Amino acid sequence: MGLLIGLAFFAVLLALRILAPAAEGSSWLGDAARDFVSLSISVVIESLPFVFLGIVLSIGVQIWLPEGFLIRRLPASPALRRPILSLLGMLLPVCECGNVPLARGLIVRGLTVSESMTFLFAAPILNPITIITTQQAFGWDNGILISRIAGGFLIANLIGWIYSRHPRPEALLTPRFQEECSLEDHAAQAAGRVGRSVQLFVRETGAMMPALFIGAGIAGLIQVGVPRGVLVSLGTSPVWSVATLMVLAFVVAVCSNVDAFFILSFGATFMPGSIVAFLVFGPMIDVKMLALLRTTFTAKTLVQLTVVVALCSAALGLAVNYVL
Amino acid sequence: MFYRRLLDRWIGVVLSTIGIVATLWLGFTGQLALYIHPRYFVFTIVMAVIAGVLALSAFALVPAGPRADGHGHADGHGHADAGSRHWRGLGAAGSTLIAAAAVVGLLVLPPSTLSTATVTQRDLNGSASTLSRSDAVDLMGADYTTFTMKDWISLLRQGVGEEFLTGKTATVTGFVTPDKSDPENVFFAARFVVTCCAVDAQPIGLPVYSPGWQDRFETDSWVTVSGGFRTNPSQISKEALVMVPDSIAPVPEPDSPYVY
Repeated sequence: MGLLIGLAFFAVLLALRILAPAAEGSSWLGDAARDFVSLSISVVIESLPFVFLGIVLSIGVQIWLPEGFLIRRLPASPALRRPILSLLGMLLPVCECGNVPLARGLIVRGLTVSESMTFLFAAPILNPITIITTQQAFGWDNGILISRIAGGFLIANLIGWIYSRHPRPEALLTPRFQEECSLEDHAAQAAGRVGRSVQLFVRETGAMMPALFIGAGIAGLIQVGVPRGVLVSLGTSPVWSVATLMVLAFVVAVCSNVDAFFILSFGATFMPGSIVAFLVFGPMIDVKMLALLRTTFTAKTLVQLTVVVALCSAALGLAVNYVL
Repeated sequence: MFYRRLLDRWIGVVLSTIGIVATLWLGFTGQLALYIHPRYFVFTIVMAVIAGVLALSAFALVPAGPRADGHGHADGHGHADAGSRHWRGLGAAGSTLIAAAAVVGLLVLPPSTLSTATVTQRDLNGSASTLSRSDAVDLMGADYTTFTMKDWISLLRQGVGEEFLTGKTATVTGFVTPDKSDPENVFFAARFVVTCCAVDAQPIGLPVYSPGWQDRFETDSWVTVSGGFRTNPSQISKEALVMVPDSIAPVPEPDSPYVY
């Protein structure tokens, strides 16, 4: 019966899409409104497969890997665990939006909150696809590639270290996600692996999808509302260029796997340090990521994380501009 | 109450299904390129199919009522206070709004390319997203009859003179967008260059000198322009060299409107 309802739902949506008005149907929308819709849809269509991949990997980690499989293989010392976790993205090269459900799965499987943060912020940068595309875009010039890799590693580990000292790490999580974590044991007894996998899919999409759609809408709105020329015109000084490209990274919310190609187009205008700041800050914090991270972390935690990551990225960018 | 809890439980699957149907339809009708770079097509379709199987499995295996694992959220245990009920009511309204917006945006409105509104936001030819200097130097000895719009713009950006361009004819297709500095006499035949998805699209375009073009072409309509280059006759346009068209023909929007 449920399957029939599901098939009927798919069929209704497909019929709606096929029967919807053709090209002229949105002519009543103004250009800006139509572009807002196109840009928001673009964020959704681009991010969806990565979010699904993250959820599938999260299901794999939480339900199909043997109990303790990951935790047992990690060093006992937190100081060693965090560097190892920051390299986990080498094995699981998911884009940053996919890392959120995966990090949630890792917390449920026993990683501490601070360790999951280290993974979350390091993995989008320290993964083979991101490294290769950055190398293709910038080669070894100006220390951009090395600064990105080293900066991503150091900032992610700094955040992990800072939050490892928090007296009540569970307070960093939203009450809803805390509840999700405590449900796992009960759920484990209630259904087989396939059933639990499907339940987890329902739960994770329930957390991720509204956040993704809200984030996409905000990203589209900012894209239409903030003229990019204003940002670019600020980009000629060593200090302002860093701030400008960090704002651009926050606004444009482009995937870390290809952000190097995107920012390459600004390479002639901006200084290398500002490009490094863009490439380090963007994968960790942007408008879409904040919406997704809000499913897991409290607003206060996200403000703190944003400030720390922004300050570290700015310091790194300024160091590259003035020292290298 | 029942609707609220049902929505709370199924909103993710509903939004996923909307996204999956939209993605697969765009893929099968060849319109995914309106939103993402072709390198992602296979990955996007494969993940949509996998997610579609999981969504159908959810309908088949998970009971429709609130929380199959026997737990609700805060109010699921029956002692929610008025404040939490209020917030949950707002949450349900928000979820309904998001689902409605997703249906309209992804399934009702027709897919469309970016327009002149975004060109004005993003500084036409403002970034170096065309080609590097060395590539442009290579172009100077190449067969110009094979040049794309990006190639011609690269040459113009490198400051080649009218002498070099004398006798060379370009044919490019793009949408019409006015030159900000002299909208009466000059328009750009423009395209967007996409790196990853439409969000990062950068507008590029060749300036075309054609006084009174507004009487013949609408902004954002697509044209194929053929012609040579010369010093811009316009006294107020900021473009040094422009195309002087031998012909401008209206054309339908290309299947792949962006360049990569």
